[in-house]
Amino acid sequence: MPYEQILMRNVGVKNSQSLKVYQQAGGYASAEKALKMSVEDLVEFVKGGNVRGRGGAGFPAGIKWGFLPKERETTYLCVNADESEPPTFCNRVLMEHDPHMMLEGILIAGYATRTNVAYIYMRGEFTEQFHIVQKAVEQAYEAGYFGTNILGSGYDLECYVHRGAGAYVCGEETGLIESLEGKRGWPRIKPPFPAIAGAFGKPTVVNNVETLAVLPHIIERGLDWWNGLGTANSKGTKMYCISGPVNRPGCYEAPLGISTRELIYGEDFGQGMRDGMKVKACSPGGLSMGFLRGDLFPENPSKGEVDLTSDYDELDCILDFDDVRRYDLLGLGTAAAVVVAEDTDIRRVLTNVCRFYALESCGQCTQCREGTAWMYKIAQRIEAGAGRSFDLDLIEEVTKNMGMMPGMSICGLPDGAAWPIRTLVQKFRAEFEQHLAAQAPNAAAERIIATNPAAYDLPVLQGRALQPSGGTYLVPKD
Amino acid sequence: MPKIIIDGKEIECRDGIPVLQAALEAGWDVPHYCYHPGLSVVASCRLCLMEQKMPHPQTKEMGWAPKLFPSCQTPVKDGMEVRFHSESVENNQKHVMEYYLLNHPLDCPVCDKAGECSLQDYSEKFGNATSRMVEDKHKNPKKDIGPKTLLYQDRCVLCTRCVRFADEIAGTGELAVVERGSRGEIDVFPGEPLANDLQGNVVDLCPVGCLLDKQFLFRQRVWNLQTVPSVSPADSSGACIWIDANDAGVHRVRPRFNERVNEWWISDEQRHGFEYVNREDRLTRPRIRENGQVRGASWEEIPAHLRAAFAGDGSAFVISPMLSNEEAWLLATFARQVAPNAVLACGHVPVEGQDRSFPKGFTIRAEKAPNRGGVERILAHFGGPQMSFDELCGQAADGTLKAVYVYGGYPAAWITPAQAEQLSRLDCLVVHDLFDGPLTERADLVLPAAPWTEREGSFTNCDGLVQAFERARPPRSGIKAEGQFFQELCGLPGLFRSAKIRTMLGESIADLAETFQPRKEPEHAH
Repeated sequence: MPYEQILMRNVGVKNSQSLKVYQQAGGYASAEKALKMSVEDLVEFVKGGNVRGRGGAGFPAGIKWGFLPKERETTYLCVNADESEPPTFCNRVLMEHDPHMMLEGILIAGYATRTNVAYIYMRGEFTEQFHIVQKAVEQAYEAGYFGTNILGSGYDLECYVHRGAGAYVCGEETGLIESLEGKRGWPRIKPPFPAIAGAFGKPTVVNNVETLAVLPHIIERGLDWWNGLGTANSKGTKMYCISGPVNRPGCYEAPLGISTRELIYGEDFGQGMRDGMKVKACSPGGLSMGFLRGDLFPENPSKGEVDLTSDYDELDCILDFDDVRRYDLLGLGTAAAVVVAEDTDIRRVLTNVCRFYALESCGQCTQCREGTAWMYKIAQRIEAGAGRSFDLDLIEEVTKNMGMMPGMSICGLPDGAAWPIRTLVQKFRAEFEQHLAAQAPNAAAERIIATNPAAYDLPVLQGRALQPSGGTYLVPKD
Repeated sequence: MPKIIIDGKEIECRDGIPVLQAALEAGWDVPHYCYHPGLSVVASCRLCLMEQKMPHPQTKEMGWAPKLFPSCQTPVKDGMEVRFHSESVENNQKHVMEYYLLNHPLDCPVCDKAGECSLQDYSEKFGNATSRMVEDKHKNPKKDIGPKTLLYQDRCVLCTRCVRFADEIAGTGELAVVERGSRGEIDVFPGEPLANDLQGNVVDLCPVGCLLDKQFLFRQRVWNLQTVPSVSPADSSGACIWIDANDAGVHRVRPRFNERVNEWWISDEQRHGFEYVNREDRLTRPRIRENGQVRGASWEEIPAHLRAAFAGDGSAFVISPMLSNEEAWLLATFARQVAPNAVLACGHVPVEGQDRSFPKGFTIRAEKAPNRGGVERILAHFGGPQMSFDELCGQAADGTLKAVYVYGGYPAAWITPAQAEQLSRLDCLVVHDLFDGPLTERADLVLPAAPWTEREGSFTNCDGLVQAFERARPPRSGIKAEGQFFQELCGLPGLFRSAKIRTMLGESIADLAETFQPRKEPEHAH
């Protein structure tokens, strides 16, 4: 292993979930050290490490803590363990194999934010993991790492594990808070931000499991070590997931900054494609971040340059918080890659992506609620061999209205839905066009009339369904 | 008062309101569904988005920010500059209007809301003539969610106004959104129908034809209705209402904004309690009993008859709290003209239980008459012999009183058999009422009354607030409206106009002369 396993050091160790094993590896020493520091020093220390949130948005954790009002009585810490971004499973691995690492992170973050109550909001589908974490919390209580006067420092922290009911949108921080309060998991409008009025109306910090799990290591080994890992703006170690038809799918740890190609083909990671297939597409950062063209496409002749308008291989994309943006991705996300092999029909990929967001849109904002469902229907029709060239333009236009401008809707879900769908349609347009050309000449019209006679009959629709182009409501901008 | 610039025009607005409200009050037509000033802001319909000038993150130079802001969620700030007429704002409106109609059944021809539906209006003004949706529509069910309300889910735009109303104003929380995404539906919990006493407001709040009032269902097309401002007589709160009526009768009562009393809401009894005005069995002709025989009378012969019967001592007038200030004043004036020592009594005041308040302060009053305050104020002004209605009945029974004029005007049977029996011993009993009852059977003279929808005037509510109401319908054929009749009794010439009488009344009772005008509120939900 060329890369040191830090977060995953106990994976594969017998009884790795137990407190004893964790303590043997030096567990909870960092928490002890942190509790001896002053709160201000601790926050400054973490800011010095520029720990960017591992949950997807990459927002620096120290700065997030800094948003808490100076004068406050009650603060809550919510641990976002609602890992539901397809195809991400790094938090799950962490909680399954080393729950105490997260708990120690909670203790440190709780102390740094002057929190007395921490909630671990765990995805409803995590059944086994819930029992593991619950047991670990009990062990930690017994050992005095939670409760009152922890390690004689006078600091009190209660920790509860709360299970969600299985909604993707509850991984959004305000959706999580609403769900935690027992309400429907609809994200809240901001302001006020959770740091001002979050859970139960009190200042609240929401951090991802992995973000918290790195804290003990930074404190143990120091900032120099941490800042020596990774790239310019992306420091530290990260758990990468790789799935799809690769030879060795799984979760692997590496410093930030490996390339997508390395993740798929690297000896320490995916070990190449099954049966020597080529990569058609790859979503390298969790589905919502968008798609890259794979090595099925020719290599870009000008090395280092990114040309989005031509169909070139884009697997050289570096998986840190910055480089992904050059390839028209929304961000690094959860750094969980899924590979689409050359033998997969891109229309099926589109349907599957659209289906996920149509099912998981919470239904609050109109664009997201209606747009995702509409695109799913269009994608199904294209897959059934009854698409129109206009449908691709339409999908592109809907995604641009839904999520072109982050912040148009209450939460980030429509941005996350629009990105993969738009990048699929834009980057793989040639393949879609091939399929359209191979259809029976009147397939689209016949299917439309069969499924929705109104589209044909209603005078107001003017037989538009059958026209090759339906026009646009977007005024082109220079 | 902060000044803000909308579309290049500077306007002054109230402090602390959202930009959307300021724009609507200044006359902009900004499309919106989820925003309602009486409810919490959820900013979910994303139709009221606007552009806002912001300092550039690096250069600090003011310019239009690239993202759009929900104007319902952005409070006004002095000097801020926003615009609704721009390419990106209008693009967004076009897209959102298209989304709303994707799964909408377009059944306007059979929809009660058609004609006052903001989905229609906004589609016309901000939307598109055609849809690009060629897929099969998602069909949601129609549901019976309560004794008075239907829910046609297929028309819903999921603005959640109704859910927020049930949570925040009624405080009962019967409604909820179930399911996720475009399959989301408004629903009630099993066995818990929408049955609170304010539930009718959800129908007004609904910007589309999703929530429907069973009383108004399929009854009239709204463009055939005439709307007049009025005040509800259902209780003493003086809630402001709109009456929707046409030649076929009164069809609907809706709340009218009043910041001092009912804000945007009315109770169900104020909303649904008007049906008596349409009843077929209302009295429509004066009747006289002569020598034991009852015959129809003409309005012309009544004044002389009354003057003769009430001239002596022992006459009394019962002035009902259902009468307006102007009518009560005219009747009392006539009473003192014809018999200076006539007894004046405030009529029966129906009371049901206790006042009931809801979380945000809406109150249903126990007193079920609109104008006890005004009648008592007028009686206090006139002075002289006065007594309660119960005492009056007693004195009628023991023979102290000879002739009594009883004005009723209540929507339902109101007198106890014992009181009717006591009053029947009089020499002369005049009953002025809406319906036949125990009293009209025994009366020597029966005069048909007009309900408040067929009269005009002002009511004084339980807090002393004087509010004017207008006539929604002409009096039913054969009826002379109270104002006109009392005016003729007093010998005043001309047609009855409540404003004119109010001026005359104001010369002696100044505090009843001015009527309260609520702030004009932009239409939020139709």
